[in-house]
Amino acid sequence: MARLPIVNKVRELRFFADEMTQQQLADLVGVTRQTVMAIEKGKYSPSLEVAFKISWVFEKPLEEVFRYSPEQEVQD
Amino acid sequence: MDMSFKEKSTWISLASTLGIFGYYFISLFGFSDLPEEQVNEAIAGLLLRSIILIVILEIVFHTLLSATNHKAAEMGEDERDKLIALKANNYGYTVLAVGVVICIVRLIGTEMGPEVFESSLSAEIPMLTAHLLMFSFILSEVVRFTSQIVYYRRGY
Repeated sequence: MARLPIVNKVRELRFFADEMTQQQLADLVGVTRQTVMAIEKGKYSPSLEVAFKISWVFEKPLEEVFRYSPEQEVQD
Repeated sequence: MDMSFKEKSTWISLASTLGIFGYYFISLFGFSDLPEEQVNEAIAGLLLRSIILIVILEIVFHTLLSATNHKAAEMGEDERDKLIALKANNYGYTVLAVGVVICIVRLIGTEMGPEVFESSLSAEIPMLTAHLLMFSFILSEVVRFTSQIVYYRRGY
């Protein structure tokens, strides 16, 4: 299974945002809860639009939520 | 199992396709006992019955799914659903294209060298080209739904 080179702090940020649930974040961003789950696990890299929306929800700059980490990338 | 609305919908489509067209292909073998003049009519009837059945099943199950997952049904597809569908469509299309090319080669072969083709399977199986096209279509749908499910299970 490929591990994507983009890591994120979504789970941590949810916890510090009054323990916001995945469903609440999904509703605010306009994706399914399963997509939020896939993003948190690093299995799916969101589009730029969704990444910006997530940053906007947590009131953080994009680079504080998502980080490019090429050493993370592992192929199948 | 934690599944999105689209994943549940894909499972329904896969199960309906496998169920109905499994029945279609198994029924075809039963026609070998029929007199030759009745076979074509029986096959056409079976094909029509299978298509009507799959449409009814899809409508019934998807209505039930939407009724029990009202909010998710209203939301529709998100970006991950769309990407997964695009990737899965590519696999399905490849299978369908291979099937169509096989049928074209067979039709050209029948025109250019009828003695070779007519002495083989074509002579024994009525409406073979239609079956090959149908089989390619079903297989491409099964590949499409299966790859969608695999992507959903993997995350993407």
